[in-house]
Amino acid sequence: MDFLTEFPEMGRGDLRDLKKGIDAAFKEFSRAYGEALEAFFYPLLQFMVWFEKLLTQTPWPIVILVLAALAWLGSRNWKLVAGTVVAFIVIGYFGMWEDTMATLAIISVATIVCIGVGIPLGILMARSNRVQAVITPILDVMQTIPSFVYLIPVVMLLGIGKVPGLMAVCIYAIPPIVRLTNLGIRLVDADVMEAANAFGASYRQRLWGVQVPLALPNIFAGVNQTIMMALAMVVIASMIGVKGLGVPVLRAISNQYLALGVMNGLAIVALAIIFDRVSQQYGKRLQKHREGGHGV
Amino acid sequence: MKKLLTAMAAVGVALTVSGTAKADCGSLTLAEMNWASAELMANVDKFILEEGYGCEVELIPGATMTTFTSMNEKGEPDIANELWINAVREPLFAAFDEGRLHSVNNGPITQLGEGWWVPPHTAEKYPEIVSDIDALLARPDLFPHPEDPSKGAFVGCPAGWGCQLANANLYRAFDMEAKGWLLVDPGSAAGLDGSMAKANERGENWFGYYWSPTAMIGKYSMVPVDMGEWAGADNWDGCIVKPEQDCADPKASSWTHSEVHTVITDRFKKAGGVAVDYLNKRVFPGPVMNGMLVYMGDNQAGGEDAAIEFLMQHEDVWTQWVPADVASKIKAAL
Repeated sequence: MDFLTEFPEMGRGDLRDLKKGIDAAFKEFSRAYGEALEAFFYPLLQFMVWFEKLLTQTPWPIVILVLAALAWLGSRNWKLVAGTVVAFIVIGYFGMWEDTMATLAIISVATIVCIGVGIPLGILMARSNRVQAVITPILDVMQTIPSFVYLIPVVMLLGIGKVPGLMAVCIYAIPPIVRLTNLGIRLVDADVMEAANAFGASYRQRLWGVQVPLALPNIFAGVNQTIMMALAMVVIASMIGVKGLGVPVLRAISNQYLALGVMNGLAIVALAIIFDRVSQQYGKRLQKHREGGHGV
Repeated sequence: MKKLLTAMAAVGVALTVSGTAKADCGSLTLAEMNWASAELMANVDKFILEEGYGCEVELIPGATMTTFTSMNEKGEPDIANELWINAVREPLFAAFDEGRLHSVNNGPITQLGEGWWVPPHTAEKYPEIVSDIDALLARPDLFPHPEDPSKGAFVGCPAGWGCQLANANLYRAFDMEAKGWLLVDPGSAAGLDGSMAKANERGENWFGYYWSPTAMIGKYSMVPVDMGEWAGADNWDGCIVKPEQDCADPKASSWTHSEVHTVITDRFKKAGGVAVDYLNKRVFPGPVMNGMLVYMGDNQAGGEDAAIEFLMQHEDVWTQWVPADVASKIKAAL
């Protein structure tokens, strides 16, 4: 009867040895390749340090002007531009300017890295069912595994600071762009592809001339989601030494500083809303030609 | 209907009876702080109070600031077994004076303290920096900051911890910025531990804040740095532990002597009875605690497993805390 009521689990000692073995193997790996990995990411670190310095050391009116210009270029919407300017002025007025710039820096770099890695991966997935079958479960793991689980190995490998923070953010934020690029390309009408084939289009021409443009709405939804998820990771990234709005939030959590927590939390929300609206408007403008154009 | 009522009454009586049988010290809540020594202590206390004294103990996870605030404002949880009072000194003593909280044990673990540490391989190579803080601070080049190698990295305390303020003020007091140091915020316990572990595993230099007794200090045999003269309690309590704006002129100082108390609420002091006497006597010797922490690390044991291990292995320690009849009850339960 014992067999039915007590789960026949692995022996306590064996289980412990297994866990210790995994830990020891990881430590070996970290000792052997940690420095090489750090060296590999060194240029990225330099870029991030430079970018953060650029944002924090440029006079604030110029930064606001540039951000307003970017908002205008993206959205062509005066209301949004005005909202952006007001949001940043309020953030600066409440003493969160430097933290916001640090957060903006890491989120921008994270978004660029995620797009740079994610879109090619999505294209690859769309091209081959086998690749899709391999990558999809990996993406599932990346999205659902609690981030605290991979913080420790990332810190053991790369130390604390910007690069490990970027890794943590990207592990969580990259899946939507990969998935939606894949989905977008797979949803392109078979008839359209047949027409492209009939004109003798090469693979490259089909991809860049037909599939990617038609998949743009989905790809943009992916970019948008990636940015949102990256912002959601700001506080977690601060747990491994990334400067920015997450640090005061952590401080507020452990000291019950209500106002500090809410203010910095709202600053993250403001960034998220600006990023979201601008990228959505930009995506919409890109697709404007589709309305009525093809006579759908 | 009548039958049902009688049955309910019978159950009610039965419940009250079993309630009084257990009511030696009643039900209580016990803070389980989120670090290993406190987890172990909380689980040892839980086991002894439940099995030895018939209390009903509920563990409540917490951290120094959150637990203290909750005890001070709401009277919950009843016991904080390992409260490091440096961070909460003033409000805590105010609460003692007003009789809302009581200290029942001013040293639940012997030989403990906070300070600045370097790994043993660093201490061996540069023995002069361990005994002389000025010699250490003159060598930021030994501890390059990854994001700006021209500066030295001093790993402080995670954001929001009580020690963060003290480290930031000492950073100013020792004039470390001018000497070429950057204060690194590791962000969390995981960040602090990870950065120390990484340095030790790779044989890199590391300089930062930590405290003992901890598995990390025991495991890597970290070496404490002599921080020089103690500059007086006025400097420490009136300035170093305060936010930067309340501490205009911090003076360089060694770390304050750590006081750790077991703190209980007024309600439990009145209701707890013999359980309070137990908390009075419960003192873990430092080496035993360090050994338990290394055991927890090596075996990835949680507080509960480690408590059982402790009670089995160190009978000589805990039997001194309780009367003989309670000890035999606990042994039976083991």
